[in-house]
Amino acid sequence: MHKSRSIRLLVFIVIALAAFFLSNVVDELRVFQGASLSVYIVAIASIVLLTGYSGQISLGHGALMAIGGYSAVLAHNHWKVSIPISFAIAIVSTAFFGSILGWAAARLKGPYLAGTTLALAVGLPSLANQFSVLGGEQGLAFDVGAPPKSLGSDFTQYKWYFWICALAALIIVWITQNILTSRYGRQWRAMRSAPISASLSGIHIGRSKVLAFTISSGIAGLAGAMLVMTLNLVTPSAFPLSLSFAIVTGAVLAGVTNLGGGVIGALVLVAIPDIADLLAGKMGGAEKISANLPGFITSLILIVTVLLLPNGPKLSKLVSHKTK
Amino acid sequence: MFGSIRHKRSLVAAATLATAALTLSTLPAQAFSPHYEVGVSASTIKLGITIPLTGSAAPGYNKVPAAMSAYFNYVNDNGGVNGRKISLVVKDDAYLPTLAVAKTNDLVLKDKVFAVVGALGTANNKAVASSVNLGRRGIPSLFINTGYSGFADKAKYPTTYPLLPSYIVEAKIMGQYIKDNYAGKKLGLIYQDDDFGSDAQAGFKAAGVKFDVSVPYASGSQSAASGAAWVGKLKAAGAEVVVVFGVSSATGVALAASAALSYKAQWILGSVGGDATTLKALGVPAAILTGAQGASFLPSPGDATDEYIKQFQDINTKYNAGAVFDNNVLIAMNTAMLTVQALRAAGSNPTRAGLMAALESKGGSFASASFSPILYSSSSHVGYTGYWIGKYNSSGVMLPDGGKYTLYTTDSGAGAVNTVASKRPAMPAKGLPNN
Repeated sequence: MHKSRSIRLLVFIVIALAAFFLSNVVDELRVFQGASLSVYIVAIASIVLLTGYSGQISLGHGALMAIGGYSAVLAHNHWKVSIPISFAIAIVSTAFFGSILGWAAARLKGPYLAGTTLALAVGLPSLANQFSVLGGEQGLAFDVGAPPKSLGSDFTQYKWYFWICALAALIIVWITQNILTSRYGRQWRAMRSAPISASLSGIHIGRSKVLAFTISSGIAGLAGAMLVMTLNLVTPSAFPLSLSFAIVTGAVLAGVTNLGGGVIGALVLVAIPDIADLLAGKMGGAEKISANLPGFITSLILIVTVLLLPNGPKLSKLVSHKTK
Repeated sequence: MFGSIRHKRSLVAAATLATAALTLSTLPAQAFSPHYEVGVSASTIKLGITIPLTGSAAPGYNKVPAAMSAYFNYVNDNGGVNGRKISLVVKDDAYLPTLAVAKTNDLVLKDKVFAVVGALGTANNKAVASSVNLGRRGIPSLFINTGYSGFADKAKYPTTYPLLPSYIVEAKIMGQYIKDNYAGKKLGLIYQDDDFGSDAQAGFKAAGVKFDVSVPYASGSQSAASGAAWVGKLKAAGAEVVVVFGVSSATGVALAASAALSYKAQWILGSVGGDATTLKALGVPAAILTGAQGASFLPSPGDATDEYIKQFQDINTKYNAGAVFDNNVLIAMNTAMLTVQALRAAGSNPTRAGLMAALESKGGSFASASFSPILYSSSSHVGYTGYWIGKYNSSGVMLPDGGKYTLYTTDSGAGAVNTVASKRPAMPAKGLPNN
């Protein structure tokens, strides 16, 4: 295990170096997409942990991202904390909320859990409209400031976001990977495949589920904080229902038990708006459909993946297990 | 054993990431001649706009891009701007700030437009200013479609040029009008609960008008049910004169609900939501609109005796087939005509900096349909400052009080409301700028 860890660390360092090198070569749009890619990778990691390992389904992770986003912005704006601290606050506060939610979630199964979390995704972000401290539909500005002068005058804002996001993503995926290969990861897998035998062998099912939900929420909170940083703004409209679906789709796409595969899922999610633009351009009347086409494509991919790859991605199996 | 599978997976993932990123990076970037500014080539000038084409705020505004393109095509067919044809890249932001940010990123980084023109929405323009940061990138954002007074702050929004009179100006003028004509009546106000609405409240306060009942609504929350609730509050408070300071869809909802609940009041509609064609399309009965009052900074779109209206109607018929000529089309064409003048003033090899310098030195003399002057200068980004007040007739056309345009002007501060003689440059021959 020690040897495998050091090799894994090496892989992460290689990826970090590749990302650093690439950010200096590609144009600004790709750099910005790289930041979005990092956000999706982290969000998908939270689903992989929750669904792929602990066997719980959530269609409401967009709402948890919203909690992370708002926590980071409120902490940054009111307490003037630095970016890493505001990200840490986002993780902790979302994990706290997730642990409460987890208590309820542990009692629910399959479609009931999906429905409950879905309701959260629909309702929670628009709550911000009710409290003026959260800025309403207009939202709150989140200005992390210009990149340090020492990086040079050519260093763009988007490259700065990318560096922060990529570093945060690498660290959190590294930690998640370690959690998944730890005894908790093994407990979750045992619980997912055979809950009864798992509990017979001494695993506390309820506690394990809550723990998984808590950690997964914390990771989603970080993704939310990263997302609002790239937007410079937090508003309810940053966390639409389609975001929750998109990250589940991303996780399913590359096999829901595979953290590394999440990168592919995230790449597809980042590419979807471009594909939508391309399609819309060919269909004519482009402008009116290009804003809504991405959601359609995401749903289509989700359906097609589940239909055509019932054995590959594990989500479909999981749902049928649960509903029996 | 487990470990080795994982290594493979991690390695595969790493390799995939690196390959994918490399592939992306080798995609051909759009090639530009080094002699021209971004978005300008020997034969074209590329502009961009973000505006709601779908979603709750879309009705009415979704006509703007086509009307702007129609005017640009008309100019293109008549020689273009210094030989270059203008193209307009249109992006739908569904009136969502986050989508506006994403779409403006596309305009700047992918489509590489020369400038953004007519971007709509207070919250959207604010979000774009802070995230995409057009100011720091030196990208002009011309004639934005919002009257939020804050955008005239040159230090905060150095490349943003508002055109519409601010909402504070509009509310001050309306307030003065209410004091002069409806003293002693019970007053009601419906407003959008954001910067758009807070500007309105600041204006009414400056004018010394107090409302007996105020009904705020959250952007995007307008529906038939909420309309009934607003009217219920107005009715309960016995409001006799009601100002609606909201987007078209909210104004439509309020009027339709009052018709359904047979609530009668003297309505005064803000310019943002006061387009009769849009309101009718939203299901507002003609009867309730008749006699309602409104404020506008452009001549009435139904006034065919006006030389600007006549020319724009003509272009609309030929280049924008099927579109009803209304306020949205009028604002779009007026904006497009100002854009052409700004581009012409920027010279034969336009740069972004040159465009903004030209606007500040010559913008005040540009021909435009409004009776209000344009106050651009090296120290001011304030556009129009005046409104006239009118009444909707039975066919939904708003005509000036007393049959002739009286322009009220004021500022966004404590300045008084004045009436001035309507004066503006003549429409250039055939509607083609010759500045």
